[in-house]
Amino acid sequence: MKFLSLVSNEWIKIFSRTRTWVFIALPILIVLGVAIYGKVTEDDTVKSNWKQEVTQQNKELKSQIAEAKKDNSPKFVAQSLENEYKQNQYALKNDISPYETTSWKFMKDMAPLSSLLGLFVIVIASDIVAGEFAKGTIKMLLIRPYSRWKILLSKLIATLAFAFFLWVILVVATWLFGSILYGFGGMDQPYLSMIDGKVHEKLISEYVLANMGLEFIEFAVTVFLAFMVSTLFYSSSVAIGISLFLTFAGNALVLFISSKSWAKYTLFPNMDLTQYLDEGLQVVKGMSLSFSLGMLAIYSALFLIITFAVFQKRDVKA
Amino acid sequence: METVHTLELKEVTKKMKGKNVVDHLSFGVRKGEIFGLLGPNGAGKTTTIRMIVGLISMSGGEILVNGLDIRKNYEKAMEQIGAIVENPQMYDYLTGYKNLMQYARMLPGVTRERIDEVVKLVDLEQAIHKKVKTYSLGMRQRLGVAQALLHRPSLLILDEPTNGLDPQGMHDLRNYLRLLADQGTSVVVSSHILAEMELMCDRVAVMQHGKLVRIDNVTNVTDQAQARVHFLLENEMNEAKSLLAEHFPAKTVEVSEKELIVEANTNQEIGDINKRLVEAGFLVYGIQVKKKTLEERFLEMTGKGGNLNEVSVAGQ
Repeated sequence: MKFLSLVSNEWIKIFSRTRTWVFIALPILIVLGVAIYGKVTEDDTVKSNWKQEVTQQNKELKSQIAEAKKDNSPKFVAQSLENEYKQNQYALKNDISPYETTSWKFMKDMAPLSSLLGLFVIVIASDIVAGEFAKGTIKMLLIRPYSRWKILLSKLIATLAFAFFLWVILVVATWLFGSILYGFGGMDQPYLSMIDGKVHEKLISEYVLANMGLEFIEFAVTVFLAFMVSTLFYSSSVAIGISLFLTFAGNALVLFISSKSWAKYTLFPNMDLTQYLDEGLQVVKGMSLSFSLGMLAIYSALFLIITFAVFQKRDVKA
Repeated sequence: METVHTLELKEVTKKMKGKNVVDHLSFGVRKGEIFGLLGPNGAGKTTTIRMIVGLISMSGGEILVNGLDIRKNYEKAMEQIGAIVENPQMYDYLTGYKNLMQYARMLPGVTRERIDEVVKLVDLEQAIHKKVKTYSLGMRQRLGVAQALLHRPSLLILDEPTNGLDPQGMHDLRNYLRLLADQGTSVVVSSHILAEMELMCDRVAVMQHGKLVRIDNVTNVTDQAQARVHFLLENEMNEAKSLLAEHFPAKTVEVSEKELIVEANTNQEIGDINKRLVEAGFLVYGIQVKKKTLEERFLEMTGKGGNLNEVSVAGQ
């Protein structure tokens, strides 16, 4: 069990930093704040008159769609507006209020917080190798009786475990605060999604769980990317900067290259797995969930091979 | 006859940017000896040490730790080494104790009692539960020594260990290294400061431009130092010089104002020279024996002046 002590060493180091506790506390505080704010400002009149509200929304959507078609915005913009329009119609017809908040609805609404966690995970992953080079502690680590790949693997596992830990915290916190404020249960609330241009009814819990699962896969790939950057660069601030830039500029890049035929083979369009939960959100055409998972597997393998090969060979002069 | 070496380097070479930073370096460190690697900055000492502990790959040659090839039995070989490579950088957001715990978990058979023992040894008991960022350079150095000793390595490697130590700390370190060596630990110490090596080491290897210049017992390196004997005369310097040249053809004699300077190794030689001078009627009113300082010897060996015969490898 010698290898496990390497992982626990890394884990201890992660948790000995103040920033780690900020990374843990911040999402919890945000979820709590949003939950309380939502509860306090809950508008009962909208809730009871939701049909009026949704009809009004649809009027606006209609003009927006017409506008989008006129001024040549990308196709998917009109597409997603149209989807929203259709979903609203379906809701009106079947008497499913989109203003009904349950704990699971709350969890769904809080899902975008995962990109904040992604940011924290990038910081940890970028720093875990580069930081040791920057401070010179890497040589104290590498003179121990362990092959280099074991030391690197222990860092990778510790980072993934930390990412998983943050993710669990977000899930538990949203579920718990949601349940306390909006009541436990609500798993069977219907959720509307689009399949082949038609509105389908799903269980919201099903959607939330699928969403979280896919987001964790995105997390893992982000870790591999940041981990590679961390190994290639000696300075942790440079590594963090590059990882963040790649991740966020990557998303902007997707829009830029979306019309190219090779766009689907690049990393970033495939990084957003939750796009497959709602049809019509895809920016790049011709991809499916299994296609994206395959591409991510290939990219991850590539990142890891580069990371381990470079680390194994490198002369440490820090 | 091959004696068992704790550490053995055979033709070790490191190429960097087409240049041999370490060039076919061979030496062996015996069990229980303190071995010095001596050389000016850039001579390749640190690169050599980094190759021994696996931080830098070798371009050629072989390194054996207790007979284990570090390329083939890396983990087994590293288990027997404790090291400080340049400054011991610690995790400054952890306490000294937690730093030691990190390394203790990575090494076989280090108990909490052993950690306490080592902490006591390096005299850090007061500060061990404080964060390393509050430590002075000397305290960090001592913590570095502590982590190197945790698992009772049979080979201890210290790169410039006295950096940042005060005289008392240096004294303590020397005593402790001697104690370890007496118990059978082999110690390799690198330094560019000669006086330190003289006090600390049994044998020294002198390096220059990645090559071994000389390897010998430290006493030989210092004592063999030829003395420059100054004979103080009133006048007739040139006559005296030709007299000596006649009787001692092997010696070179320098003349400076009222001195004849002759290199001599033994008292007998000095006496003989003096006798000749006096018998020939010169008035010798003083004789000064000036031993070359280690500094001068070192400059000589590493090629700034001095003769080349001596620069070749000796004592292997």
